Amino acid sequence: MQSRPVLEMREISRRFGSTQALDSVSLRLYPGEVHALLGENGAGKSTLIKIMTGVHQPDSGQILLDGRSVRIGSTLEAQRLGIAAIYQEPLMYPDLNVAENIFIAHANRGLWVNWERMYRDAEAILAQLDVRLDVRQPARGLSVAAQQTVEIARALSLQARVLIMDEPTAALSAHEVDQLFTIVQRLRDQGVAILFISHRLEEVFRIADHITVFRDGQLISSAPRSDVTPEQAIRDMAGRAIEQLFPRRNTVRDQVLVQVRDLGRTGVFSGISFDVHAGEVLGFAGLVGARRTDVGLALFGIAPADSGTVIIDGQEVRITTPAQAMRHGIAYVSEDRRGLGLSLPMSIAANITLSTLRRYLTPLGLVRRNAEIATAEAYRHRLSIRAPSVEVAVGQLSGGNQQKVMLSKWLNTRPRLLILDEPTRGIDVGAKAEVHQMIDDLAAEGIAIILISSDLPEVLAMSDRVLVMREGRFMGLFNRHEATQERILAAAMGQAATLDGKS
Amino acid sequence: MATNLRRLLRWEGFLLAILALVVIVNVSRAPAYLTLANQINLFQLSIEKIIVALVMAFVIINGEIDLSVASVMGLAACLTAVLFESGMPMPLAILIALLAGVCCGAFNGFWVAYVGLPSLAVTLAGMIGFRGVARILIEDRSIGGFPEWFTTLGQQPLIGPFPLSLVLFATLFALALIILQFSGVGRLVYVVGNNAAVARYSGIDTARLKMGIFIASGLIAAMAGVLLAARLGAVRGNTAEGFELDIITIVLLGGVSIFGGVGNLVGVGLAILVILNLRNGMSLLNVTGNVQTGVIGVLLILSVLLPNLVQMARERIQRRMAERKEVHIETETSVSS
Amino acid sequence: MTIWWQRLRPEQIRELSLVVLIGVALLIFSSQIENFLTARTFNRIAASVAIVGMVAIGQTLVVLTRNIDLSVGSIVGFTAYFVGSQLAANNAMGAPAAVLLAIAVGGGMGLVNGVIVAYGRVPAIITTLGTLAIYRMLLINYANARTVTVDSLPAWVVELSRQTLFSIGDFAVRPLMVVTLAAVVIFQLVLIYTIFGRRLYAIGSNPEAARFAGLPAQRIVLTAFTLCGALAGLAGFLFLARFGTITAVAGQGIELESVAAVVVGGVNTFGGSGTVLGAFLGAFLIDLLGQGLLRWLGISEFWRDALLGLLILLAVASDAVILGWLRRLWQARTEVNHGN
Repeated sequence: MQSRPVLEMREISRRFGSTQALDSVSLRLYPGEVHALLGENGAGKSTLIKIMTGVHQPDSGQILLDGRSVRIGSTLEAQRLGIAAIYQEPLMYPDLNVAENIFIAHANRGLWVNWERMYRDAEAILAQLDVRLDVRQPARGLSVAAQQTVEIARALSLQARVLIMDEPTAALSAHEVDQLFTIVQRLRDQGVAILFISHRLEEVFRIADHITVFRDGQLISSAPRSDVTPEQAIRDMAGRAIEQLFPRRNTVRDQVLVQVRDLGRTGVFSGISFDVHAGEVLGFAGLVGARRTDVGLALFGIAPADSGTVIIDGQEVRITTPAQAMRHGIAYVSEDRRGLGLSLPMSIAANITLSTLRRYLTPLGLVRRNAEIATAEAYRHRLSIRAPSVEVAVGQLSGGNQQKVMLSKWLNTRPRLLILDEPTRGIDVGAKAEVHQMIDDLAAEGIAIILISSDLPEVLAMSDRVLVMREGRFMGLFNRHEATQERILAAAMGQAATLDGKS
Repeated sequence: MATNLRRLLRWEGFLLAILALVVIVNVSRAPAYLTLANQINLFQLSIEKIIVALVMAFVIINGEIDLSVASVMGLAACLTAVLFESGMPMPLAILIALLAGVCCGAFNGFWVAYVGLPSLAVTLAGMIGFRGVARILIEDRSIGGFPEWFTTLGQQPLIGPFPLSLVLFATLFALALIILQFSGVGRLVYVVGNNAAVARYSGIDTARLKMGIFIASGLIAAMAGVLLAARLGAVRGNTAEGFELDIITIVLLGGVSIFGGVGNLVGVGLAILVILNLRNGMSLLNVTGNVQTGVIGVLLILSVLLPNLVQMARERIQRRMAERKEVHIETETSVSS
Repeated sequence: MTIWWQRLRPEQIRELSLVVLIGVALLIFSSQIENFLTARTFNRIAASVAIVGMVAIGQTLVVLTRNIDLSVGSIVGFTAYFVGSQLAANNAMGAPAAVLLAIAVGGGMGLVNGVIVAYGRVPAIITTLGTLAIYRMLLINYANARTVTVDSLPAWVVELSRQTLFSIGDFAVRPLMVVTLAAVVIFQLVLIYTIFGRRLYAIGSNPEAARFAGLPAQRIVLTAFTLCGALAGLAGFLFLARFGTITAVAGQGIELESVAAVVVGGVNTFGGSGTVLGAFLGAFLIDLLGQGLLRWLGISEFWRDALLGLLILLAVASDAVILGWLRRLWQARTEVNHGN
């Protein structure tokens, strides 16, 4: 098996702004080998994939294909070089049928569509994968698993020699995972090099020949599966340096502000129960696809829950719109600043008063600019938002300052329950510390905070208690003193003793 | 925003330059051009369209489009005429026509805001359907003989040398300017047009806002239709047919983006002046009405095409420079794994 | 394990339901209206559907790519007048030359639209609203208030609309209809059997995926607009043949009729699904309903537009409902998966 690697990434580095996403990382993919890549969110896996598929260019380092140095300038070039990727959400043409979805990108097939030949070829490729799928069926009705199979077939039809699978099992059932693994093994036997990324440890240990762990953009360990234990892998993933994080004060009050019982939304999450006290920070931990954000959205009324109860101050409430949630004192600070959180061309002041605009109107409905600017100035001072003036468009600010504007907007609604979704993602260290300070101050004021974060050290440092979710289900609630990185990761990956190993 | 602002200023500067050019050429050819009487006349000839353009600016900045306005104008005009002909007092007939406009707007708004259908398709159906209702009412007749006060109101000066429609336009322009640029509602129009999801995540009832704007669009269009009936003194089934093109052109020429969220009423006001003066100037040159429309069609395309071409050229230059220096331009991406 | 109806594409469902609707309408009308199912009715419908249907074919190609062409009415008018005046000036011009001229002129206008949309990145609705006015202006300038009259045209042109190729019973099959039917068949085949056709669907279905896969999207959109213009040019020739007398307002409003046919025919306004056959059936159904309802309910022809507007709205709304239904079906399936 240890012949020559098909694809070799040699000392690849890539920087985004102030973040070193990849730091001199090397990786070799051999034909007929399943190479698993493990790492927390933000470890640099996605960046590596994007470099392999030509979406990003490395700042430094070399890419060797069959021992020859290559430059992958675009996704099309990657495809031509035989590198294909399959994502969690497949890229399908829903109106075209299965066979067409496999062959649509083939340029050299002449002017005419030979349907019979295309169906035959499609069936042959699917047979090669030992998959039974009606090639005449439109893609619109296909399950995610079937769509992934189609994407694999598409990659095969393009003679892909390197197949990257990014979280392919996240949306699959146990049975579908089994089927996918059969396909993967078949591909391996045919000599395809596979880079397999998954958060499900048990799957990785089932399928991989070689396991590599990334952390903070660095390669931590890389060894044949037989030399690694799940415990070792978790330790490697978790051993993140805890930066100079803010020491939290204990601000939890006795008063239970929000009680959530058995909350669920069909097909998304179910059975979520927890209490939040005034002045408490409740961390939500979990990996990609854990559906933590969906719980936040349900509480905020964007995608309402359809089962379970929410009790605020002893009163059961029904929340089906954001306006209702705001009336109950709930605020949700989105993880997607640019897409959902801020109106980028509008000024800082306009964004801060957006959710509370009514307070800044004259009886005739005109905006009281002075009052608005006074409020914005107050927040600029309080959160030290760095901007020349509050009339600057938020699109021009750095990520950290945008985050502070978003926080200001929601603080201005005077919330009692503040849901923070990834509040420090993509912002620099200084701004991060400021946000942490802010969280502590808010808790001290008696605001209840739900902190959704994929940054495990952050969750551990900031939370009074940590709730762990996995694929829409409750996996455990840990007190501050019992929460360790290993324990939480194990729960988030479905490794806890109380759980059945299957999904 | 600063770049947007700069673009806008540049755009308004561009409109001002064109306007100055048009006016200078016109004055040089016809010294009486700048007289108050001629200017009033020039406004008067397109007054209904520019009134509707004001509300169309709201619709497009909000990220939608209303193709049905001209048909609502026609329907309101026909309804007024038919009701009057059947013996109803004129004021009541006008009121019912305005109400019909509100209903048309609410109809469009319902399908767009609450059912989520694309406004292009819905208002296209409205454009054909409302015109159809007007045709049912009036068939192939022409109804005139309105009371004298009504036609006088449409044609004669009301305050000083200004007729009612011009006074109404001035009032509405000021009102629209204040609402769009200075009020809370105006703020929300921009936010929704920019990114409706952000508005929703901020607790704003986007559906109600859209509904309100479509209703306003119907009401103002109906009012313009009644004014048109008063000015023309007679109404036919095809009254105001094809006006939507001119109205949308004015708004887009004014720097409002067809994708929503960008533009303001100062630009739209300048675009109105440009188009009116251009049309008037072409009339002075004995250019026929259809050629005038064609020229405006060219302007419409250029108003989007030129900024695009400049942008593309800039991108190309940047790319070439980047390749030469082998500098990797950093794309704005957050790191996520 | 698919049942046959699950394999039907949404557009096939739409084509089937259009055929059923047409059948039902025919049944009702023929039972309610005396002398409805006659050659006269058929011929009247055929004559107008021949022109709108031809334009609707091109409109389908454009709408499939998530665009729209509102300039087709002006293209029809311009080519009708232009070719008419050329024929009037030169009676010796043969049929192939005249038809080619019409196609070339229309195609050129479509090419201009396509270049502005695909390469100038101007939204199709703005571009074609503009060219709608520009092409009409060219026509009015060119016509200069003159009219092409029947008398000035060569005899064979006028004959085209009256001549009967062959008859089935009383139903006369006329050249105009045959040309349009041939075009429907050809483009239905193009959409199904050529790479170009399938790429139209791909681009409309998922533009992002198309870009990712490196499909030449700009070239494909350009081709769609050019073909749309060429077909509108051909329709202009049919227009000339049908009416003989052409003024500067010829073809006005055809853009809306073609969009209506396309929408009723089940072509998704968001691109990616729909067929030429569906659009043609849509045009046929609209005309049939128009004719039938007028005579059945004894309502005047002034009801036509109101009914058309309602029909478009119903078509768009039902599309949304069907799409929502499919999406829910899909979600239900993934839910089951989660449940395991």
